Amino acid sequence: MLPLCSRVLLSHPFSPMSLMALREQLNMLVNSMYIEGLLDQQFQQLQMLQDASSPGFVAEVINLFCEDAERILTELTKLVDQAVVDFQKVDAYVHQLKGSSSSVGAQNVKLACIQFRQFCEENNKDGCLNALNVVKHHYYLLRNKFDTMLQLEQRIQAYDSKQQN
Amino acid sequence: MSAGSNYASSKLESDRVPDKFPVGMKVLLVDDDLTCLAVVKRMLLNCQYDVTTCSEATRALSLLRENKGAFDLIISDVHMPDMDGFRLLELVGLEMDLPVIMMSGDTRFNVVMKGVSHGACDFLTKPVRMEELQNIWQHVVRRKWLDSKEIERSGSVEEADRGRQVTDDSEYASTVNDGIDCSWKYQKNKRDAKEEDDNELDNIDPSSSKKPRVVWSVELHQQFVNAVNQLGIDKAVPKRILELMNVPGLTRENVASHLQKFRLYLKRLSGVAQHHTGLNSSLYGASSNAKVGQLGRFDFQALAVSGQISPETLAALQDELLGHPPCNLAMPTIDQPVLQQASVQRNNSVTFERGIAFGQPLLKGQAVSSFPVWPANDLGALGSASNLGGLNTSQNSNMLMTMLQQPQPQTVPSESNHAINVQRSCLVAPAKSSNKFQVQGNPMHINQDSTIISQSSANFQAGNAVVPVIQDSAVVASHSSTSMKTGSNLFVTNHRSTILPSQSLTGISLGNDSGLLNQGSIIVPSQPLNSSQAGSNSILSSQNSMVVPSHLSGSSRTDKNIIPITHNSNLNNSSSLVNYNRLPTQSNVMPSSMKQVLDNLAAVDSFSVPVSMNSQVLSSTGSSTSWQLHSPDISISHPNGTHSLVPSSCNIEATDRLLAKLPDKGLGKNLGFVGKGTCLPSRFAVDDIESPTNDLTNSSAYTGDDGYLQNQDIFGISGAVQSGHCATTSFK
Repeated sequence: MLPLCSRVLLSHPFSPMSLMALREQLNMLVNSMYIEGLLDQQFQQLQMLQDASSPGFVAEVINLFCEDAERILTELTKLVDQAVVDFQKVDAYVHQLKGSSSSVGAQNVKLACIQFRQFCEENNKDGCLNALNVVKHHYYLLRNKFDTMLQLEQRIQAYDSKQQN
Repeated sequence: MSAGSNYASSKLESDRVPDKFPVGMKVLLVDDDLTCLAVVKRMLLNCQYDVTTCSEATRALSLLRENKGAFDLIISDVHMPDMDGFRLLELVGLEMDLPVIMMSGDTRFNVVMKGVSHGACDFLTKPVRMEELQNIWQHVVRRKWLDSKEIERSGSVEEADRGRQVTDDSEYASTVNDGIDCSWKYQKNKRDAKEEDDNELDNIDPSSSKKPRVVWSVELHQQFVNAVNQLGIDKAVPKRILELMNVPGLTRENVASHLQKFRLYLKRLSGVAQHHTGLNSSLYGASSNAKVGQLGRFDFQALAVSGQISPETLAALQDELLGHPPCNLAMPTIDQPVLQQASVQRNNSVTFERGIAFGQPLLKGQAVSSFPVWPANDLGALGSASNLGGLNTSQNSNMLMTMLQQPQPQTVPSESNHAINVQRSCLVAPAKSSNKFQVQGNPMHINQDSTIISQSSANFQAGNAVVPVIQDSAVVASHSSTSMKTGSNLFVTNHRSTILPSQSLTGISLGNDSGLLNQGSIIVPSQPLNSSQAGSNSILSSQNSMVVPSHLSGSSRTDKNIIPITHNSNLNNSSSLVNYNRLPTQSNVMPSSMKQVLDNLAAVDSFSVPVSMNSQVLSSTGSSTSWQLHSPDISISHPNGTHSLVPSSCNIEATDRLLAKLPDKGLGKNLGFVGKGTCLPSRFAVDDIESPTNDLTNSSAYTGDDGYLQNQDIFGISGAVQSGHCATTSFK
């Protein structure tokens, strides 16, 4: 077999990639996310939990997280936008987001939430506005990568099942 | 090799087959965060447990109630929208007696502590890792173990049986100790149980526990509570409760363990709402909501000078305070409570007015009582305390007075180098005035005068330095549980709680150095349970507890040094300086205590630190006992010469107040009893009080080489009871 790099070079983005290439790409993506701080060790735990008996586990968790996060971000946007901000409510939501992001291993998002809570405690509206933007920024960045990740996973799994068939 | 491996594998198999546990252990997982729920569920499944998930606490509770035997273990999040995780924890503990593990992303000390005090058997930090979940089965085993041990011991006197000891200790401890002690006890249980587990692992089969688990349904629990109330919480021993309940099939052990939990639960309760009606009017608690504005720190002197709070103000404050739902405290929180100084702002004279000259620097904190009289000195201000390390009682300059008022737990922010923070909460802390103080360093004085506190729970935790904490809770509807824990240095705590309906549980645990605890609790119906534990050095605990109907049980334990224990405290060490002010009412506490005190005093030779406590006890006569105890100003002089003065002032109720102050000068002098028969005396003349107050001030200021608190005895050393005019009158 050709060395991996050659295979990768030879593969065209639109041409079907080999299983191995797919896996390679997925690994590189995930690694880069770790390196850049988007993911932390908790995500590794999730990866380890996925096995034959629960093949779609990571995807399931990611989806749950994204749904939750987006719901919370919407709420937060509304709350922080008000003339008089209810910091307690805001804090409660941020706490939730912090919890779910930490459960999934979304490190940057989690850290941004922690910062956000600081501002809440200080009843600092501007700070909160900024913090919310930071959280959103990190979240959407993460979401994009998660999307790619899940797509790759799907293709890999399709490959696998095709091969099984 | 293969044989070896065969052997190994077969051995494993044989180990596993007969006793499949923890495989299949039934876990109920409760969390509103779906992401976390999915993750933890997966992990639990990978551990081979049986998992049921629930995203709503209320749903979980009904699940549990419907199928009592369906679960072995519960894991629950702390922050949930429909029900607080701790509440769920409590309910599960009371009704189902199942082990509960708490989870949270919030790892602050107070949160974890709260879990412990509510009875959680473990606390996991989110994000939860697989490794942490692998061993959770131990909690199920442990509980079953302890349960079986109780059964084995049915009817027998406690022996050296470790489990029994543990149980006994916990029973005892739970009643007298505060959260801190509970954690200690819990740890002990844990250790003990673990050892037992190790020994008997092979025999463990939870599913075949000898004793059928008793499900404490709501009705059963109600019967239990009725029985306990009937007996009186201090007299409520499992055997009697069992008799009263008269439930077939219920064993003493079941009741015993339930009682233990119940006591823990009570301690945490904020019972503001539960003022006894009788007391209400006079109690601060009843009121309202006066919210004490937050006052900045005031110079104590200024404060003192400024006078007291006007009755209206106080009333208003009280109202506010009372209006607040009680907070569950029980743990020292790092969150500092907001100190509010109501009085300062007001500058009015407290209803007391009277002459109680409280201007003394020492006492700070005006008690706000519905009735008013709060000696200015009430606050156990510790200005003196602030002088740790050579404290000088004079509180002058450093004293900060802050009135602490808290509808909710307030913690005093530790001030680094602040000599004294005096907080006075004049107002009644409506719910619980839970003060948690955490001092990392330097002395911190906290005065809390809560006139009405449904529960005055103060938790102090001092890392080092001195933390004087004074709490005056005038009325404690429920129990006042104060717990102080100091890592080192001087620790002065005054708890004064007048507890009418319930009990005051005070637990003080001092790591070392001197700790002064004053607990003046007047308990009308119930009893104050005071326990102090000191690791070393002198601990002065004076408990003034007057129990009208009931009795006080106080115990102090100190490992060494002086421990003055007042009424009902057992003096363990030679050094004990007992000062107590007790107003004997119906209970014939006096004579014995007097004697005891004197005996102790005599015995105190190693007492290097004389502690004089002036405790002023105010008791109101009549049916409603609104007592206010003034906690004595105690200055504890640390053997090293530092003393902390803790003046405690109790809220004096307008009606009958018995203000007894027992000045304590050195050994032998102290006790002043004011005992007036049934009618608590308002006899303690205000005038009398005055002097002590003054004295207190002075004494607190006293920085003698040995931290002598000179309390001028109002009553004289002999502790003669002075009959004076009713406090009320005098105050008026």
